[in-house]
Amino acid sequence: MATDAPVIQTIDLRKTYADVEAVRGLNLRVPASSIYGFLGKNGAGKTTTIKMLLGMVRPSSGEARVFDLPADGADTGVAIRQRTAFVGEDKDLYDGMTVEEMTRFTASFYPKWRRDLEERYLRAFDLPPHRRVKALSRGMRTKLALLLALCRGADLLVLDEPTSGLDPAMTEEVLQALVTHVSRAEATVFFSSHQIAEVEQIADHVAIVDRGRALVSGALDDLRERYRRIQLVFDGDAPQPAFRSPGVERVRRNGRVLSVLSSAGADGLVDEARALNPVSIDVVSVTLKEIFLDTVAGENAVED
Amino acid sequence: MLWHRVWLETRWRFLIGLIILVCSAGGSVLAYPKVMALLPLVPSMQDGGELGRRIQEAAQLARSYRGYIWSQWYRQMPVQMGTLFAALLGTGGLLSQSIGGGTLFTLSLPVSRARLLAARTGAGLAELAVLAFVPSLMIPLLSPAVGQSYGIADVLVHGVCLFVVGCVFYSLAILLSTVFGDVWRPLLLACAAGFVLALVDLLSPARSTFSLFSVMNAERWFRAGQLPWAGLLVSVLASAAMLQAAAVNYARKDF
Repeated sequence: MATDAPVIQTIDLRKTYADVEAVRGLNLRVPASSIYGFLGKNGAGKTTTIKMLLGMVRPSSGEARVFDLPADGADTGVAIRQRTAFVGEDKDLYDGMTVEEMTRFTASFYPKWRRDLEERYLRAFDLPPHRRVKALSRGMRTKLALLLALCRGADLLVLDEPTSGLDPAMTEEVLQALVTHVSRAEATVFFSSHQIAEVEQIADHVAIVDRGRALVSGALDDLRERYRRIQLVFDGDAPQPAFRSPGVERVRRNGRVLSVLSSAGADGLVDEARALNPVSIDVVSVTLKEIFLDTVAGENAVED
Repeated sequence: MLWHRVWLETRWRFLIGLIILVCSAGGSVLAYPKVMALLPLVPSMQDGGELGRRIQEAAQLARSYRGYIWSQWYRQMPVQMGTLFAALLGTGGLLSQSIGGGTLFTLSLPVSRARLLAARTGAGLAELAVLAFVPSLMIPLLSPAVGQSYGIADVLVHGVCLFVVGCVFYSLAILLSTVFGDVWRPLLLACAAGFVLALVDLLSPARSTFSLFSVMNAERWFRAGQLPWAGLLVSVLASAAMLQAAAVNYARKDF
């Protein structure tokens, strides 16, 4: 489904606030028509990256391009935002406006505003048109923010923690609305989250970021295909080997068990592991959660 | 729609300012007969210091209706309240929208920061112009009720002077609002600047003819029939410079 031309591309993107490096050489490539999960712990640099993509924050160095336009230019920023919808983590809207005023206000900036979708989502989300934004519940506010994003006729949806603070039922409703919309509208979705389950549920591409850098990125199916855990059990204490095979992400020793996470399949590693004379060798597939936890905990680390 | 958004944000400050100034202008006109009745009771103070001099001057000016209006209204109320409400209208904006929400939402719209600031400034200046001219217009409208008349030319000149100098405080508040993230510090600092200028005028009356407030109350026009061109020009340039600095600040700002 995805094509080769990236909708979002960052090259060695960096942002430093005073003495804090929020983003440290981030490289991303978001394919068109993908649902791209931007996964990371709190404080990993997700929001700062999104703000740089939308021209709200200027990069300290490196490059952020959206629709092949530089994100930090005044004119190009406007052109990018014309084709992009954004939902912030705080669902930052105008408290003093009613739902109807907020909708009319937003629609006035987008020539491709989808009135049909507006009516549909107003009904589906059960949003009261005359209620002020400040009187909306957290869930309702999220739904309104989503409605305002989905009706813009945007080619790119940028969502920062879209389900934060929502209960599981509301989270499911929001995710379903998102997937349904994207399947109909051929848009690209770039969404940040620290909820692995929701990324796994709707994303087809993923980047795992930690401390401002992308540790893992690619198509989710491809990651699932490439990532393997090789479990070696020994008679006595497991050795401390130095594997030469490519793709060794993490090696963990626990008594008689040596656990190796590989990002390049298991074939080469299994051959190498046999030379260590283990009692048993098991190769198991890994979940996104395991990839996340292992890569974020440390790269190529040998742990006892 | 950006103008509408600014209007929603500033309408209460604007309306309160308008009501206060309109009531004040109307009250000054309607109080004229009573002041005239009390005028003979003002004692002749030869040695009353600065206060006595001012009372004597006000009594002297009040012998003509035009002088009464200038000394009792244009010299005081629009200068004080105009400064306060100009600063109030200038505070807020993108940085402090967190109070009412919407900073990131606004920045995600396909609008440049320069246009956002232009919309805010344009709407604020329109409100300031209404505050400068509409209360003044109450004077010629109500003057027949006390058997007097007041020239439209005076209204227009005073309106222009109030507006142009009001722009200085408005622009200062806009500039400070691009630096501070709350509404209070820009307001307090802009008002403090006005207070310091007023204090300098008070302590050094000789210099007051060149002061910003002297331009604002159009003293030169009242006394000599001449427009304070130099003061108006300096005010326009100062406002333009501060608005330009605010635009540069906005463009550089990380949100």
